[in-house]
Amino acid sequence: MLAVKELLGSKLKFGLIALAIGLVVSLTMLMSAMSEGLVTGMTGAKRSLDADVLVFQGDTALSLERSMLTDDDLTLISSSAGVDAAYAVGHLIVTIRGPHGSFDAHVFGLADAFDQLPIVEGEHRAPAAGEAIVDFTATTEGIGVGDTLNLNPLPGELRVTAFTEGRRYIMAPALYVSLDTWRSLRAASLLKLDSAQGGETATPPDGEVADGMPPEAAPTLAGAASIMAVRLAPGVTPSDLSAALAPAFEVATPEDASLAGNGMNVMVLAVNGIQLVSLLIGAMVIGVFFYITTLHKSGQIAAVKALGASNYYVYRQLLVQISILVTLAAVIGVGLALGAGSGMPPAMAFDPDPARWAVSLLAVYATAYLGSLFSLRSILLIDPATALDRAEH
Amino acid sequence: MPLLEVTQLTKHYQGGSGRVTALEDVSFALEGGRLLGVLGPSGSGKTTLLSLIAGLLRPSSGEVRLGGSAIHLRSAREAAAFRREHVGLVFQDHHLVPYLSALENLLLVPHLSGHVRDADRRHASHLLAEFGLEHRARHTPAELSGGERQRVAIARALMNSPEIMLVDEPTSNLDTERGQQVLELLRDQVHRGAMTCVMVTHDPRMAAQADQTLQLMDGRVAAGDAGA
Repeated sequence: MLAVKELLGSKLKFGLIALAIGLVVSLTMLMSAMSEGLVTGMTGAKRSLDADVLVFQGDTALSLERSMLTDDDLTLISSSAGVDAAYAVGHLIVTIRGPHGSFDAHVFGLADAFDQLPIVEGEHRAPAAGEAIVDFTATTEGIGVGDTLNLNPLPGELRVTAFTEGRRYIMAPALYVSLDTWRSLRAASLLKLDSAQGGETATPPDGEVADGMPPEAAPTLAGAASIMAVRLAPGVTPSDLSAALAPAFEVATPEDASLAGNGMNVMVLAVNGIQLVSLLIGAMVIGVFFYITTLHKSGQIAAVKALGASNYYVYRQLLVQISILVTLAAVIGVGLALGAGSGMPPAMAFDPDPARWAVSLLAVYATAYLGSLFSLRSILLIDPATALDRAEH
Repeated sequence: MPLLEVTQLTKHYQGGSGRVTALEDVSFALEGGRLLGVLGPSGSGKTTLLSLIAGLLRPSSGEVRLGGSAIHLRSAREAAAFRREHVGLVFQDHHLVPYLSALENLLLVPHLSGHVRDADRRHASHLLAEFGLEHRARHTPAELSGGERQRVAIARALMNSPEIMLVDEPTSNLDTERGQQVLELLRDQVHRGAMTCVMVTHDPRMAAQADQTLQLMDGRVAAGDAGA
């Protein structure tokens, strides 16, 4: 009764504090979405691989760029105890000549599991030889479904059959091709082939090879895949497989692997730090505001306590007010964050994740209640006898 | 048997310059349906006495019994519950909740006891009408005059049909005419409802209109007919 009546009776005062908290909430939401955007942009293609664990070549520090597995490696991993299913994944950096100029892209060759890619536009099927499913951010480079991509420094071409989303790597769009196509492209990057198109498995060519490289070495140097994505058997943990495959191979979950290399740990820590500071500022704003409000109305609280209200009753009113204000602030903050996000250029990392936002909002509520403890202390200290004239004694 | 018995009541405070005696060895008794005027200059211990009777303070020594119940032995929580059910309090500065209407200020009392029933709403409306405030029921304290606020405060103190009403300087912020009206209102309520009232005042003319008086000076009983 008192809590709601007081809010309604001082709409401007409480509206302004809700706005102030809302700004803090929006900052937290923006930081969360930008953090997620950065992580997705940097590692989305790696992190979203459909697998329990990723297996890398040993001593490569979970680096997609450095890891290279041979056919024997693939066989060994697939047949290891605890592996339920596995598919090979290849990785290659290329430059694409698009309508708006050249841009970098990361080619991912998948031996299987193309159904893990959410198709947002185009054909819902696995790409055939010489075809690719491309991350939607490539549209900012003027790429569309049905376009043919000219690859650099390779002489090959890829036709876009569909767009997927959330699959970027080191801020460049990912291109998903069949593993055979990837092997051809990979071989072509090492051998001066006339064409990497056609999907034929890289074979030692009769033609010209890179300086100093024997032609028969090409398939081995190209590798059979970069890493292997593994689905574990029930009851098997990543640590179990890691122990079984060490030291020749490194094993990590996609999430852990995504944080390895490229300064990801430092970047995520920095962004999380900014989020934490935002939350602490929010808690301080709420705590100090209600502390001052409590002090300001200590006479009124003393009178209500003199009439028979308990400390619990008075504190409960405060919690009701905080809950209402934070809920209002959450609506304002999320609205502002979404508005700001919609106004950002497509190239800017902004990827609101409902789960992370929910966690951030819960953290705002938690810190707000934590901040209310300042006021609780004041409430406990207010002597109801002061409602009568204590100066008189 | 008197409704209110105060026996050798003493209250010390720990001040910056040592122990301060606010009240010392005060004793009196008051029958039900009587209005006691407690008179004394500023600093004589009037408000301390009121706070001790209300259970807002615990005495250093002595006893306060209301209807045979030992107020001085109650914990803060028990005293608060006792006030909700049995005591009506009127503050010098009325202390109406500023964002509640006159009617809602009255309904605050049953609200603190748990819930507001239809009978409480009817009782509140009846009290406001009795005090000539029915047309001001929806007005907040800021929209009321000083006299109206004090009448609302007295009506609020009557909401729980208390056995005793403790009134602190009810006329100090009012002019003589309005102060007299408020006092008449109190006297009327006490005598009609057979309720006991302790009214603290520094105005001898107001105290003189009470059924009994008790004069305090430097924390001690200086004169009066309340009887020990």
